Amino acid sequence: MAICKMNSKVSDEIPSSSMADIAFLLLIFFLVTTVFPRDTGLRVVLPEEAEEVQVSQRNVLHLQVQPNGVVEVRYGESEDLQQVPASQVQSIWRTNVAENPNLIAAVKTHPDAPHSAMIAVLDALQLAGAERISLQLLEET
Amino acid sequence: MGLKGGGFERKSKASGEIPSSSMADIAFLLLIFFMVTTVFRAEAARPIEWPSAGATEQIDEKRDNILYLWLERNGDIWINDRLVPMADVATVIGPRWLESGQRLIISLRADASVPYRFVDLVQEQLKRSGAVYVVFATELERRMTGARR
Repeated sequence: MAICKMNSKVSDEIPSSSMADIAFLLLIFFLVTTVFPRDTGLRVVLPEEAEEVQVSQRNVLHLQVQPNGVVEVRYGESEDLQQVPASQVQSIWRTNVAENPNLIAAVKTHPDAPHSAMIAVLDALQLAGAERISLQLLEET
Repeated sequence: MGLKGGGFERKSKASGEIPSSSMADIAFLLLIFFMVTTVFRAEAARPIEWPSAGATEQIDEKRDNILYLWLERNGDIWINDRLVPMADVATVIGPRWLESGQRLIISLRADASVPYRFVDLVQEQLKRSGAVYVVFATELERRMTGARR
């Protein structure tokens, strides 16, 4: 019996004093590594129903988004269209809003155009700091 | 022990150390408490292709005040795991808009390639329901990858 005791010098109990450290380590590990899905997107505020504002054509920059992603830019009352890629909308807006601070961007999207084409134009406008944006459906002629 | 130190020490029978053996229980209790109370969104994600935009911003609003509206490539609309016909969107969202005290934000999660006619119809429905705060859900565009190419 005495020999037996001598051999087992190591305690046969699990040390419970470090259990707290392990538990806190787990707690802190999961606190740090947890990533909550954040909601991201482009903010717009829709006009309320039957709210129609008459604007002078001089203050409108028409941006017609075609199904292939090309944007046709039309200034106010003029009839001539200028075809540009969506990446140029940002600089076009900047130059035009510098001349006319009351400018409104009328984004008219073709019914068959993909959603991402409209997002590209909206993105460009928001990057350029535009706040007066109107989203419309392009009437097929 | 009491007798050895005289009458003065008899009062302080309690140990001066904080018992550390129950510390593990406290930590596990905290762990389990937060595990149980954490509510993950029960709504299943629809398979859509996210559009990306450089002006993407974060929405700082309570989770309860954000309603997710999924618009799939074929024009199907899903709200809270239910397929909603286009004409019923306004009647589904209208009560939620009033419930939230007119603070409801619609996160429109539309597929990148959905034809715009559906997006426009959804917007018309949202106008009818009164919910005017809309966020076109996008992913932040990674300009670095474009530059590397």
